[in-house]
Parts: sequence; C-alpha cells; structure tokens
Amino acid sequence: MKKSFILICFNTIFYLLFILFSFVGIPLFSLIVAIQSVFISHRKAMGKFRRAISWYGLVIIKALPYPFVTVRYKDLDKTKIAGPFIFTCNHRSASDPFLMSCLPYEFVQVVNIWPFKLPVLGFMARSAGYLSVREMPFEAFSEKAEKLLKDGVSIVAFPEGTRSVDGSLGQFHGSIFRVALKTGYPVVPVCITGNERIPARGTLLLRPGTVKIHKLSPVTNYEYAGLTPYKLKNVVRQLIADEIEVMEGRGND
Amino acid sequence: MTEQEIIKLTNQVFEDSFEIEKELLKKEMNIFQDLGLDSLDIVDLVVALQEKFGVKIRNDERIKSIRTLGDIYKFITALKAEGSTPAADSQK
Repeated sequence: MKKSFILICFNTIFYLLFILFSFVGIPLFSLIVAIQSVFISHRKAMGKFRRAISWYGLVIIKALPYPFVTVRYKDLDKTKIAGPFIFTCNHRSASDPFLMSCLPYEFVQVVNIWPFKLPVLGFMARSAGYLSVREMPFEAFSEKAEKLLKDGVSIVAFPEGTRSVDGSLGQFHGSIFRVALKTGYPVVPVCITGNERIPARGTLLLRPGTVKIHKLSPVTNYEYAGLTPYKLKNVVRQLIADEIEVMEGRGND
Repeated sequence: MTEQEIIKLTNQVFEDSFEIEKELLKKEMNIFQDLGLDSLDIVDLVVALQEKFGVKIRNDERIKSIRTLGDIYKFITALKAEGSTPAADSQK
C-alpha cells in the first residue's frame, strides 16, 4: 500500500514537472537559439540547438526522476578516436531516446514516424534535423545522414526499429549500417539495461530503478570494410548482445 | 534443374551474399525473424537470386508472400518449371 502510494506520488510529480519543463523549457531554448541565430551561422545555431536538446534530455532523465531513478553512464571506448560517430543502441523503452543525452556529442536521432507527431517534442525533433527513416526512401535517408556526418554531426539509431516486447534483442534493420559502409564513419555500439520498466512498453508508469548505459569502442572503417551490410549489422548486434549479458550479470566481464 | 540443385544454389546465395553460416540454412527458417534479413537485404537477395538462376523475380507478386527459406526453394522451383530463361546457369 505504502509502496503504491509512493509510486503514484513519484509518477505524478515526475509527469507534472515533465510537462511543465517541456512546455516552458523547449520554447525558451528555441527562442534563445533563434535570437542567437541572427548573429551566428546557421550551422553554429543548429549545434547550439542540439546541445540544448541534450541538456533538456539530461534534466528529464537525471534530475526529474531522482532519487527513484538513477542513471549510470560508462564510456568503455578504449580507442578515443574522434567523431562524428554512428551510434547504434538497443531499444527497450520509450526513455531510450532521452537517455541518449548522456552521449557528449552533437547528434541527431533516427526516429520512427510517431515521435514527430508528439506535441512540442515532435517540433523540436523536426527542427533539430532528426531523421524519420520511414518517411523517406533509403536513398534520401542516406544522403541526409551523409550530409550530417560530413558536417560533424553524429547519428543515433535504434536498429531494432521498435521497442523490444520481452527485453530480448530483436533483429537489426540495415539502413544505418549501409550508411556506415558508404561513408566510412565509425559505428559505436551503445547498450542500455535497467529501463525495461521505466516505462514498460504499453504504459507510462515509471518504476524505480537504476539504468545503465555503456558506450563501447567504435567499430572502425578499417575493421568493417569489405563486410556486407547484413554482416556488419550482425557483428554490431553481437557486440551489443554480449555487453548486455555482462551488464545483466549473465556473461563474462 | 533438380530440387536439390535449387536448394544448394539458393543456400549458396545466402552464404555468399550474407555470409550466413550453412548450419542456419534450413527450410523452416524465417528469413526475417530467424535470419534477420530486412527490406533492403531482400532487394540484394532478389538481385542475387536473379543472377544465380537466370530468372526474373523483381516484379513477381508471389515474392511478397515469402517468409521462409522453404518458400524461396518452392518459388524458384515454380519459376524454373514455368520455363524462365536459363541465362545465368553459366554463373554458378
């Protein structure tokens, strides 16, 4: 009884703050960047806008749910090579796109159609140049992604395409890996565990817990050149699957 | 071309084009869920099968109902029986 009451209080407070912060914070960020864009180049303004989105995300995932939800981000990259990168992440929860704010890079996300339809958030995603992969043919997607990468903007994709129903890692779609093979930018596997119920698929209820995010070493062009798109996506999928096993205490560290 | 030859050549396409291990190539395997092919892989698959068997597949409506490797074997067998051009037999 007491647990349920705390859970209801936590969720009520979180969502009130979420709505308040989204409806005030996003227009405010947008206005500041719009004013700045008069004095700086479009490219710099977009960079600032995307950084602002990351700050917004960090508040949503770290400040608002604290102390009920904690986020632990680990950079396990041993190479420290420079970006931009193509980040590929497993997808278990609607909180995943927000959790990407932990990545300290300027990036856009590859999203499905529905996030663009969300009030405020959809506007923000579209304005930041997020890529709606199902609304364009592969060639157009590839061109846009290539242009972003050449501009120094990383790309975050969830190649499963949809949230996992049972937590298991789904099959990967190959579009983003074809972009990697075409452009030669490093592919970085990112693994998230612990947010299966923050919130679970089909509900908005947030449960308390610890979310772990591990950013692995990049798979470089040197390593993947010559692979087929199918092979590359499965190499990266296996790296993510192995790390998730370790993160969940089922594999070898 | 016998059914066994069609199975062997189709499996070769999967091994060469997608580097899928031979052990996974069983007729009951779902090409999407079990083998992990996506829509873009299917385009590559169609091209590779056309080259391998010398048949025209791209605009064939039956391709939309293919789910398993066994469906592909049957589809190619049917195409061959219908007498598609045997142009690419030399590419084996």
